[in-house]
Amino acid sequence: MPAGTRPRRRRAGLKSHQTSFSWGRHRVLVAALLAFGFGLSGVSGVVAYFLPAISAALHSTGQATQGGSKNHPQASPSATPAPASNQPFNVMLLGSDNDSKFPPSGVLTQTMILVRINPQTKSVVMFSIPRDLWVPIGDGGSSAKIDAAYLDGGAAEAIATVQNDFNVTVNYWVWIGLGGLVQVVNDVHEVNIVAQMPILDDEYPYDISGTDPYNQARVAILPGPQRVAGVAALEYARSRHGDVLSDLARSQKQQQLLLDIKASANDVGLADVPTIAGSLGNAVKTDMSITQVASLLPLAKAVSDGSVKQVIMLGDPYFTSDPDLNGQSVLLPNWTAIHGLVSQYFPTS
Amino acid sequence: MRRLLPIAAALALMAVFGFAIYSVLGTLKSNKHHSQKPTQIQALIDLPGTVDVVQNGDIYSLSNLKFTQLKAPAYDWVQVEPAPGGDILAVAYNAMYSDVYLLNAQGQVVRLMLSESSSQYFNNHWAYYPRVSPNGNTLFYVQDYFPPGGAYNVNFQVRAVPFSDPTANPVVWSEPGLYYQGGDVEPIPLSNGGIIYAKYSVDTSGGPTDGDTYARLVYVSSPYATPDYLTTEAQDCAEPALSPNGTEIAMVCSDNSLQTSTLQVASWNGTTLGTPVTISSGPLPASPTWSPDGKSVLYLNTLLTDKSSPFQLWWVPKATTKKPGAPQQVTADLNFTATSPPIWAS
Repeated sequence: MPAGTRPRRRRAGLKSHQTSFSWGRHRVLVAALLAFGFGLSGVSGVVAYFLPAISAALHSTGQATQGGSKNHPQASPSATPAPASNQPFNVMLLGSDNDSKFPPSGVLTQTMILVRINPQTKSVVMFSIPRDLWVPIGDGGSSAKIDAAYLDGGAAEAIATVQNDFNVTVNYWVWIGLGGLVQVVNDVHEVNIVAQMPILDDEYPYDISGTDPYNQARVAILPGPQRVAGVAALEYARSRHGDVLSDLARSQKQQQLLLDIKASANDVGLADVPTIAGSLGNAVKTDMSITQVASLLPLAKAVSDGSVKQVIMLGDPYFTSDPDLNGQSVLLPNWTAIHGLVSQYFPTS
Repeated sequence: MRRLLPIAAALALMAVFGFAIYSVLGTLKSNKHHSQKPTQIQALIDLPGTVDVVQNGDIYSLSNLKFTQLKAPAYDWVQVEPAPGGDILAVAYNAMYSDVYLLNAQGQVVRLMLSESSSQYFNNHWAYYPRVSPNGNTLFYVQDYFPPGGAYNVNFQVRAVPFSDPTANPVVWSEPGLYYQGGDVEPIPLSNGGIIYAKYSVDTSGGPTDGDTYARLVYVSSPYATPDYLTTEAQDCAEPALSPNGTEIAMVCSDNSLQTSTLQVASWNGTTLGTPVTISSGPLPASPTWSPDGKSVLYLNTLLTDKSSPFQLWWVPKATTKKPGAPQQVTADLNFTATSPPIWAS
C-alpha cells in the first residue's frame, strides 16, 4: 500500500464519515420538518373543519347574563353559579318570537320551560311556565305577564323573576329564537312528531320568511305520527289558535318537540357539530360554557324517554283566568299550589 | 430551481394532506337518517300485487321489489286512495289549500275532483282523506269547517259529494262537537251506507285528565245520525282501515301515551267492534292498509329500535288470526309520508 494513500483514504474516510454524518443529520432534519409540516397541515384541516363550531360556540356560549333592567337596575344579576359536579341542576329555556316585527332587544319570551337535569339518576323534569301568568317582575317589582320579564331586562330579569316568584334555583339559561328552532330541527335531519289532534290555524303568523312579518298563513297539520322538517316543526310547536287549550296545549307540544329533537339528536356525532353550530349563528344563546355544553351531550343521550317527567299547569288549582286585567287577558297565580308543585319537582337541596 | 422542486412537492403534499383530513372529517357526519329515493333501492320483501305509497310529495308504485315513480304533475302529493277502475285519488298540497285529483294508474290526471283554492284568503280550504264508497257512487272527504263568529275555531268535518259530480253541494256527515278540538277525520265508507271516522276531543272536564287529547272511532249510519262510539277515550284510537270483506278493522291506538302506540285489529259486525288484538307494538305505527286478500296488514313505522328514524313500510302476516305473525320490515333507508296510507292492489 503506497505511503500517503492512507491519510488520503483516512481523509477520504473522514470526509465520507463527515458527509454521512451530515447527510444523516440532514435526513433527520428533513424528516422532522416533513413530520411537522404534515402535522401542521393535519391540524389545520381539523381546525378548518371545526372553525365554524368554535367561532359559533364562542359567540353563543358563555353569554354574560345582563344584570339589572330598565325598571330594576339592581335586579339579581344572573343564574346561580354552577352546581357541584354530578349534582342536579336547573336550566331555564327561553324561546322568543324574534321575527322582524321586533327589534332584537325587544322580544318577549313566548316559551319558558324550566328543566331539571339529574346526572346521577339520568332523569329530567320539564316544567312549563304559562307566558300569561301575572307575576311580580324581577326582584319584587310591579306585576306584569311573565313573558315581559325578558323584554324588560333580558335573561337576568327573566331568571330573577322565576327564581323569586317560584322559589326555585336557576343555574343556567338557554335562549332560542324562531330561526334557531327551525335550524336545530333541520340540522338533526328532521324529527318525528305525533300530532295529538288535527291542528288547523287560519291565522298563523307568517313572519320568518317573506317581506311582511304581519302576514298570516294557513296551517294544517294532520293528526298522528309524522316526520317534519324545521318549518313544520315550528308550526307544530307555535300554533295555538285552533286549540281550546291555546297556550297550555302549546306548552305540551313544545315539551314533546324537545323530546323529539333529543331523540333525533342522539345520532348526531362530533363531525356534525360544525354544521350545526355554523347554521345556528345568533339563533341560540346561553350562559353555559363550551365545556359545560359539551358535557351535557353524553348525558342527553343517556336519558331515556321514561326518565323524563313533563309538568304542565292546566288551570285550577294553579291559576285562574282574568280576561280583562288592565286590558290584558292574564292568568292569576295561586302561589300556594304552584310552590307546592315546584318544590315537588325542583327541591332546593 | 431543481432543489426547490422537492420542497414545493412536499408543501403540495402537505396541503393535500390537510384537505384530506378536512374531507375525511366531513364523511364522518351522521347520515343514519338520510333517506334515498325509492327508485334507488329494492324492497326487502316481495309483496304480491302493487303498492302505491308517497315520499317527499311524489307517488311511487312498488311491484316485484322495485319502485317506479308515477308520472304525476309536479305537485306536492299526499294521501293516495284507491278509486274505481284502477284509478287513484290523491291530495295535492299547497301552502294555502289542498285539492283532490283523480289520477290513472300511471299518475296522469283524469280530472280535478275537489278544487279548494280561492283568491279570498278565508275561502281557501283543506280537503283531505278522500275515500270512495264501496258502490263507487260517493266521494267522502274532510274539509276544514269555519263556523261564523270564531276566527280561530277551525275544525275538520266529514263531507260527501257524488263521485260523478264532485262540484255538487256537499252533504255534511259530521258536526265537530266541541269547538277547537281539531275535528273529524279519516272517514271509512261502509257497504251499508254508513261511515266510520275518527273524532278528536279535548278533555275540558277540569278533572285529573283535563287537557288530555284523545281520538275515538265513531260510527254513523247516515248524515246527522247520532254517533255511536266504537272505542273509548282511554284507548285513544284513530286511523281505521276496513278489511276488504268488511269484517275487520285495523287501527292505531296510543292508550293516551305520547311516547308510543300500537297497531290493533278488531272484528267488526257492522255495529260494534270486537276485542282488539295488538299486531304491532310501537314505536309509531301509522296508516294501516289491508292486503287484497284481507289476511295481512301493511303499514308505516319507524325502525323498532329507533323511534326517531324515518318511516318505512312494514307488514304483518296472518293479521286476523289469534297469533298474528311478527312485523316484517319491507323497506329500508326510505322516508315515506306517515300520514299517507299505502294502497295495496292485487
